Amino acid sequence: MSRLLRRLAIAGVCALSLWTGAAQAQKQGGVLRITHRDNPPSASIHEEATISTDMPFMGVFNNLVVFAPDAKQNRLEAVVPELATSWAYSDGDRTLTFKLRDGVKWHDGKPFTAEDVKCTWDVVSGKVDGKMRKNPRKTWWFDIKDIVVDNPLQVTFHLYDPQPSFLVMLSGGFSPVYPCHVPAPQMRTHPIGTGPFKFVEFKQNESIRLERNKDYWKPGQPYLDGIEYSIIANRSTAVLALESGKFDMNITGELTPELVKDVQKEVPGMQCLVQPSNTQGNLLINRDRPPFDDAKIRRALVLSIDRKAFSDILSRGIYNIGGAMLAPPEGLWGWSKEFMATVPGYGADVEKSREEGRKIMASLGYSAEKPLQLKVSTRNIPDYRDAAVLLIDHLKNVYIQGELEPLDSAVWYARLLKKDYAVGMNVQGTGIDDPDVMFFENYTCGSERNYTAYCNKDLEVLFHKQSQMKDFEARKQIVWQIDKTLQEDGARPIVYQAQGGTCWWPHVKGLHLAVNSIYNHWRLDDAWLER
Amino acid sequence: MLTYLIRRLLLMIVTLFGVSVAIFLLLRIVPGNIADILFDSAGMIDPSEKQKIIADLGLDLPLPLQYWSWLNGVLHGELGFSYVSEKPVIDEILPRIPITARLAGLALVFAICAGVPLGVISAVKQNTKLDYALRVLSLSGLSMPSFWLGLLILMACVRWFGTIPIYDRAPASIWAWIAMLAIPAASVGFRSSALIMRLTRSSMLEILRQDFVRTAKSKGLSDNAVTYDHALRNALLPVITTIGVETAFLMGGLIVTETVFNIPGVARFLVEAIRWRDYPMVQNLVMFIAIVVVTVNLIVDLLYMLVDPRIRYSE
Amino acid sequence: MSATISHSFWNNVSYNARRYPLGVAGGIIMIVFVLAAIFASAVAPLDPFNTNAKASLAAPGPVYLMGADMMGRDVFSRLIHGARVSLAVALGATIIGSGIGCAVGLACGYIGGWFDLLVQRVTEVMQALPLLVMALVITASLGPSLRNTIVAIAIPLIPTVARVIRSNVLSLREMPYVEAAKATGMSEWRIAIIHVLPNTLAPLIVLATAQLGSTILTEASLSFLGLGVPEPYPSWGRMLSESAAEYVRTAPWLVIYPGLAISLVVFGSNLLGDALRDALDPRQRD
Repeated sequence: MSRLLRRLAIAGVCALSLWTGAAQAQKQGGVLRITHRDNPPSASIHEEATISTDMPFMGVFNNLVVFAPDAKQNRLEAVVPELATSWAYSDGDRTLTFKLRDGVKWHDGKPFTAEDVKCTWDVVSGKVDGKMRKNPRKTWWFDIKDIVVDNPLQVTFHLYDPQPSFLVMLSGGFSPVYPCHVPAPQMRTHPIGTGPFKFVEFKQNESIRLERNKDYWKPGQPYLDGIEYSIIANRSTAVLALESGKFDMNITGELTPELVKDVQKEVPGMQCLVQPSNTQGNLLINRDRPPFDDAKIRRALVLSIDRKAFSDILSRGIYNIGGAMLAPPEGLWGWSKEFMATVPGYGADVEKSREEGRKIMASLGYSAEKPLQLKVSTRNIPDYRDAAVLLIDHLKNVYIQGELEPLDSAVWYARLLKKDYAVGMNVQGTGIDDPDVMFFENYTCGSERNYTAYCNKDLEVLFHKQSQMKDFEARKQIVWQIDKTLQEDGARPIVYQAQGGTCWWPHVKGLHLAVNSIYNHWRLDDAWLER
Repeated sequence: MLTYLIRRLLLMIVTLFGVSVAIFLLLRIVPGNIADILFDSAGMIDPSEKQKIIADLGLDLPLPLQYWSWLNGVLHGELGFSYVSEKPVIDEILPRIPITARLAGLALVFAICAGVPLGVISAVKQNTKLDYALRVLSLSGLSMPSFWLGLLILMACVRWFGTIPIYDRAPASIWAWIAMLAIPAASVGFRSSALIMRLTRSSMLEILRQDFVRTAKSKGLSDNAVTYDHALRNALLPVITTIGVETAFLMGGLIVTETVFNIPGVARFLVEAIRWRDYPMVQNLVMFIAIVVVTVNLIVDLLYMLVDPRIRYSE
Repeated sequence: MSATISHSFWNNVSYNARRYPLGVAGGIIMIVFVLAAIFASAVAPLDPFNTNAKASLAAPGPVYLMGADMMGRDVFSRLIHGARVSLAVALGATIIGSGIGCAVGLACGYIGGWFDLLVQRVTEVMQALPLLVMALVITASLGPSLRNTIVAIAIPLIPTVARVIRSNVLSLREMPYVEAAKATGMSEWRIAIIHVLPNTLAPLIVLATAQLGSTILTEASLSFLGLGVPEPYPSWGRMLSESAAEYVRTAPWLVIYPGLAISLVVFGSNLLGDALRDALDPRQRD
């Protein structure tokens, strides 16, 4: 019931913002002040995989194509041109040609051409060494055979196979076009783009400032004079700062549902949206390290989890329960309720599952008196720690005694990549609600972000099969099956699908938030302040 | 005097040299190679980048040579590059120093303004209820973690004013500036004020017991005149002692206070740098803190000599 | 005979208790704290690790005396178990720090010469680095755990203790009875152990008690910064940390009680330390 009410409220807010947007004329001027949660690792979107970099720097860039601002759900049908003016498929959908906008200039005055597009995707697909320090989404671009510059205003992507999701991936906030002539180290510290806002300064642990790009190719836009992000690590300080009016909004998806309630109680006019952040809590089990090389122990571990308790404690029941793909109605590809009930460990009777888990453990010689001791590693920040503490409590039910090992961010990622952990509690976001993104990034053999080194060649055939399918419904059936197999295999058991809140003062207009991702609507070229 | 000064300066250099060796070694006995940690933690993929890190940090050189190149850089004001921001370390540290310095200064002002008068009152009213109350207050000042005090003040602000002081890089006026820093300064300075109070009290008691005060009183000078004249003259020592003892502790207090109040100073920056294993930054920040502590201690010792001629340094 | 000794002992205690009422108060606080730590499992009304969705952020009441945290864990029970962590760190760090410091100080006072000079310089180096900064760097290198926290806090304690012991030994060596012992041909080491060591005990106890408070504070600060004793062990500083700071407005009990516990114990150890110093070592009075 409360879920239904909440959805209605979301719809109401959306409708309201649409209506007000249409009824009022945009005003020029003002600086949009936003609270930021932590220090972005760098300013280079292509090198990072966090909202901390994506949101503040998205306004510096443009994509070839984007999700239409007013489309509430990020999906193929919502893709519209940005730096491209149009696109066309040929050669049985294996060739994709973009016509490019004329007269667009980089912030340093150089003209934007098709070379820049080729450069960008040559580097991110790993064909050319662009001197980037990291390339977290290389697996997204597995389908690119080569990229050809037809003329300065036309570029063609040749694909190995037809891939409907290719356009979807190009539309995300994580797919900006980079300038060919600016070296990678500079993009990390002083990014140059074609976007509505120019980079001014990035003070470590303090602030990020952008200013209006007067020569932006959209006439009259952007409306804002600038955007300023202030880094306030403590959520409660950030909330108070927002309420005091010192800030206009908070970094997207960062407020817990509890805090959102609090904010709206204090400031009745405050606009807030709690939405799936496309971030999931998942369990990493190191299948190479004894005793977890035994599938039975992995299964017992998974059976101890009470997903509903996670959702209740971490979010008052707001977090979704589902598999790898985001649950409907916000998500496009998640299981239906009926289908989910058929997946092991997702049944309503947790006690029954735990009983089964205990039986497994008992058969292996463990008991309440002689539990299996293990370390649960996690990143030393609240979201991770809280989930890990819950996990440890749940593991007790199947004779497993866990001890938390909190690791600083730097060490955490190092250990993941080295597979130097036994059991890990991980929280991971994906930029776009799309099966290609999810499966190829996290579950293909040998992928960098496949932290558990799960490798199932049969399943990989299905990854490719669904990737080429045009029929949405048919594709969805396969996606559901894949997702089910992933959970059955305990590849990376999904514990919860997180939601996060974004709040902004009513005087902030022209914001667009999609219900199935927090990463893709921060161009802010049509945002404005009614003051 | 001059020989003493020269001797102290030489000792100071020896100490700092020792600090630099200690911190250098401490960061190199860390399990795992720094280059590995940096390389992996950033999720880097290009092996040539790893080679570059190794070359940049000089990790391919023998230890003494590495140390020498760092020391040489420090002496020439070249501190290397931060691995997180890729900016020169010096550019990251320098702008943050004034923020912390102001906070520390304000905290000290608060500590003196509160500590000295309360200490004097406590001594004059020795063994009265007021004295006991003040002594308990000062002891509780030494017992409360400064971040908790900070949180309590924040909670009070929320309850009474509905909001809290939020750090602003460019406050509108000097008053806004003071208002913004006053609360963090008070919460970090409370401890120092408690210490000043204790020391002032005990040194006052000693003086009140001395003969010349009794003589002055018996000569008919009014109680108050004697007490406060001496109080002010003798308040200086406890204050100086406190500064000497507390600089190191204040640094710790600043680290947590800057974290609680979200002040982008140099103290909190150390924690961030440690979290990101930004070793060039950590190494130089710790060195910087040591320099501050050692310098303040030297100044304190010199001030002692000036204020209290009884202290001689003939050793 | 033994009756008179115990009689005079109790006389002595009651005399000192009357003389230092604040010290007695401190002693009582510390005894309660130590007992809570030792009998935590028996005293705590609830399991400090048990999470409970229904009790999430429950306000203080009959079941949850001091409320519950976000995970629905009982704050009161966690505080009692937290005393264990604080006590372990305080005792561990103080014993290790004082022990090594004492040995180093004795050695300095006895061996003297180049050894003394070297240790003196090392001491100065360590004192140039604030306790918390040292502890931060050490835990960051070793990784956060109970053992490493103890080590990280113990190491910076060593020079403080060593310095006091050293100066004590130097003055003791000039004492007539030590000179006399020497004259009778007793070996230096025997003199050190029989005559000098016992006499450094009083200042050592005073110093160690004074350090107890600061070790507890440092542990709390480290945990507050996320580098101390890890979850799910209920460390007071950690309880105050980020997640509690998130509920400054909605759940103030998560901020008030752990801070109160830290302050109270440190306060108790300070009171006790002051009284002990006055009673045992009047020279150190400030």
